[in-house]
Amino acid sequence: MADAAAEVMVQEERQAAGPPGVLRDRFIIRSNQPLAHLSAPNAEAFSAEDKRDPSRKLYALICRPELPPRVNVMRALKGVGAAGLQQLVEWGPMVWPPLGRQCMTVVYERPAGERAMAHLKAEMRRIDEFDITRKVIEPAVLAIKELTARGITHRAIRPTNLYYMDDKGERLAFGDCVTVPPAFDQPSVFETIESGMAMPIARGGGTFADDLYSLGVTLVFLLLGRNPVAHLDDEAVLRAKIQQGSYSTLVGDARLPLPMIEVLRGLLCDDETQRWDIESLDLWRQGRRLSPLQTRGEKRAARGFPFQGKEYFHCRELAVAMARNWELAIPPVLEGKLELWLRRAVEDKERAQAVSDVVRNALSAISDKRAAIDLMLCKTLTILDRSAPIRYKGFHAMPDGIGSALAALVAQQGDTRLIIEMILREVPKLWFEAQGDARPDTSMRESNFRELRGYLSQTGMGFGVERCLYEMNDALPCQSSLLGEQYVVDLKELLPALNEAAAKREDLKAWPCDRHVAAFMGARARSDIDRNLLSLSDPDAGKGLMALINLFAVYQYRLGPESLPSLAGWIGALAEPVVNAYHSREQRKELAKELPKMVRRGSLVEIYTLLDNPNARQKDQTEFAWAQAQYQAAEEEIRRIHGDEEERERGVDRIGKQTAAVVGIIIGMVTTTIVVIMTVW
Amino acid sequence: MAKRPAKPSAAPAKGKDAGVNKVVLLVIAAALVPFSLPTVTILAATMLPTLGAYFSERGSNRYAWLCIGGLNFSGVVPYLFSLWFGVHTVDEALRLLSEGNVLLWSYGASAVGWMLYKATPPVVSAWLTMTNQHRVSGLKAAQRKLVEEWGEEVVRKTPAA
Repeated sequence: MADAAAEVMVQEERQAAGPPGVLRDRFIIRSNQPLAHLSAPNAEAFSAEDKRDPSRKLYALICRPELPPRVNVMRALKGVGAAGLQQLVEWGPMVWPPLGRQCMTVVYERPAGERAMAHLKAEMRRIDEFDITRKVIEPAVLAIKELTARGITHRAIRPTNLYYMDDKGERLAFGDCVTVPPAFDQPSVFETIESGMAMPIARGGGTFADDLYSLGVTLVFLLLGRNPVAHLDDEAVLRAKIQQGSYSTLVGDARLPLPMIEVLRGLLCDDETQRWDIESLDLWRQGRRLSPLQTRGEKRAARGFPFQGKEYFHCRELAVAMARNWELAIPPVLEGKLELWLRRAVEDKERAQAVSDVVRNALSAISDKRAAIDLMLCKTLTILDRSAPIRYKGFHAMPDGIGSALAALVAQQGDTRLIIEMILREVPKLWFEAQGDARPDTSMRESNFRELRGYLSQTGMGFGVERCLYEMNDALPCQSSLLGEQYVVDLKELLPALNEAAAKREDLKAWPCDRHVAAFMGARARSDIDRNLLSLSDPDAGKGLMALINLFAVYQYRLGPESLPSLAGWIGALAEPVVNAYHSREQRKELAKELPKMVRRGSLVEIYTLLDNPNARQKDQTEFAWAQAQYQAAEEEIRRIHGDEEERERGVDRIGKQTAAVVGIIIGMVTTTIVVIMTVW
Repeated sequence: MAKRPAKPSAAPAKGKDAGVNKVVLLVIAAALVPFSLPTVTILAATMLPTLGAYFSERGSNRYAWLCIGGLNFSGVVPYLFSLWFGVHTVDEALRLLSEGNVLLWSYGASAVGWMLYKATPPVVSAWLTMTNQHRVSGLKAAQRKLVEEWGEEVVRKTPAA
C-alpha cells in the first residue's frame, strides 16, 4: 500500500517536472532527477542517460542563461579522457522544459563518489603527503598538461570541485569548468592576488599559472583537511595575501612535511614569473628536489598613508583601497599627498615622478576635466600596482574578462555604459602600456581593443556595443529577440533559426535583422563584411534591405540550407521598397510575378539575384531618364504651343498674310503663263 | 585728350546700300519708259490698287501689295499681251483704258486679291489652332503613357548634373 502511494507520488512529481530534455537526440536529461551533490554554484545537475548506452553513468549541468558559458573550452574538452578531469561527454543547447527555453547543457561522466569537500567551511578527510602526490598531484599535472596542450585553462580548481570518481576513493578528478565564465565560481582564496582583485565575472581566462596557483591552494586544503582561512572573508583574505604573501596566509603556522612545503611555496608564489610551472611540478613529482622559493614581499613604507581612517603601508594595499573608494581617492592624489608619500615614505622616486607627471597632465587638460581626472586615477592605480586588474570607477577587470562582464550585463539588461566608456577612453591601453612587457599577445590584445573602440564609434546596425559583445565573446549565442529562445552560436545556425522564427511570426513588417543579428554576423563572419553592414543603415530602405538580402544570400550559399521558405517569405513580404526601386511598372509587375516562385523555393540566393540585377537596374535607370526627358520635352512643347497669346496671334497673322501673298503671286504667275500660252498658240 | 569716336557700325551702311539699289532700279525703269511708254501707261493706270495697297498698309507684315499685286497683274496681263503683240502705241494703250474692260478686270481682280488677303489669316489661324490642338492632345497622350509606364515620378525634372 505504502509502495503504491510512493509510486503515485513519484509519478506526480515527474508530471509536475514536465518532460525530460533531450540533447542532440541522444542524451535524455531527467528534469525530475536533480543531483544536488553534483550541482555547481551556478549550474544545476540532473541525471542523464545515453540512449545508446543506458548503463553509462552520466549527469548533466544546465547553464544559467544569463551567464556566458565557455563554449570554446567545451569544444576543446569534448571527449577528452585526461586522468584528472571528469570526461565531458557532450554539450549543446537543449530545450529545457522546466525553464521552457533553450539552455546550454553539458553532459559529464558521473562520479561514483562525493566531492572532496562539501563546502568551504566543512571539515574533510585529510589526504596525507604520500597519497596526495598519487591521488591529486599526478592527475592534476596530467590534466593541466592536457589543457595547456589544447590552449585552454581550467579556472575552477578547488576542493569543492574535486570528485572521487570511484567507490574506493582512489581516483580524484576535477569537475566542471565550462558552465560559467572563467573563475566565476572560484572563491577568491583560490585565485591569485591579481585575479582575486577582479570582479568574479571579469577574471578572464588567465593562464596555466593561475591554474597552478589554484592547485597549490587546493593542496593546502587537502593536506590540512580544512579551510585554513575559513574565519576570514574574501576581503580579509586578499588583504592578508597582500601583506603576508599567499603561502604565509594559507599555511601560517601549520606543520607540513618538507617536500610539501617546497611544492606549496613554488605553487603559491605571488610573483607569476617565479611561480612553478608545470615542468617544475613534473620534475618535483619525479623526485628532483628544488630549493624552496623565498617569497619576497613588497617593500613596506616607513610611514603609513592615511586614507579613509586607516594607514596603508603597501602600495598594492593602498591601490585596492583607493580603487574601492574612487571618488574619495581623487583629492589626495590631486593634492600631491600620494606623490609625497611615495617619494619620502616608500622612497620610490620613479613611481613618485610617474604619479606627479600623470597628475600634472590631468590638471592641464583643457576639455572634459572629469574624464581626465578619472583617467589620472586609473593610471595612478596602475602605477601603484601594475599587475592588478584594470580598475576604473569601481569596475575591476582583467583585460580578457571584460568580454564576459559585458555579456553578463547585457544578458541581465544591466547598464553597460561604464564598459563602453572604458573602451572609448582607451583604459585597457593604459593598462597594457603599464605592463611594459613585449609579449606578442599584448599588442594583439591592444589592437583588439582599438578595433572595439572603432566599432563603438559607429552607431549603425552591426556596430556599437552589440558588436563589441560578440567580438569579445566568440562563443556567445546571438541575443536577438527575433530568435526567441533559440540558441545560435555559429553563423551557420543563424538562418535556420531565423527561418524557424519566421514560421512562427505573424508580423512580417519588421526586418528579420536587428542590432544583435547584424553585430553577430559582423563578428562571426570570416571575411570583413563591415561595408555591407554599413549599408544596412542606409536611409534608403530599399538599399538597406538589399544589403541584408545580400548577406543572407551569401550565408545561405556558403553555409546552407538550400531551402528557407519561411525566411524567404519574410524577405518577400519586405521586398516592396526594393521592387519599387525599379521605375518601370512593367519591370515591377515582372518582379512581383517572379518573387513568389522563389519564395516557395526558399532560395534567398535566387531572390537576391532577381532583385539585384545590375544590367536591368542600369537599363531601368537609363530608360527612366530618357522617359523623364521625353516628358519634359512634351511639356515644353505644350507650353510653347499654349505660349503668349499675343505673340501667337502675331505669328498667325504673319503666316496668314504670307500665305495670301504667296497665293496672290502664284495666281499672277499662273495667269501670265496661261496668257503666254494662249497668245503663242 | 579725348578719344576718337568709334567708327559707325555696318548697319547704317547696309541701309544706305539698299537705298542706292532702289535708286539704281528707278533710274533703269525711268530709262526704259521712252521705249515702253504704252506699257507704262497701262500699268500706271491699272496697277494703282497695288500701289495703294503698298502705301496704305502699316506694320511689320506688309504683304498686301504682293497678294493684291499678283491678282491685279493677272487682271491686266491679257491686255498687256494684246498690246505687246498688237499695236504697241500710246494711243492704243489709251484706247484700251478708255474701253473700261481693262480697268474693270484689273480693279476687279485687285478686289478679289484684297478679299483673299483679308480672308486668308483667319483661315490659317483656324487651321493652325486645329493642328496645334491635335499636337497638344498627342503630346498629352504620350505623357499619360509615360506616366502609366514609369509612374508619377517621371513628371519630376531630372536634377542638373
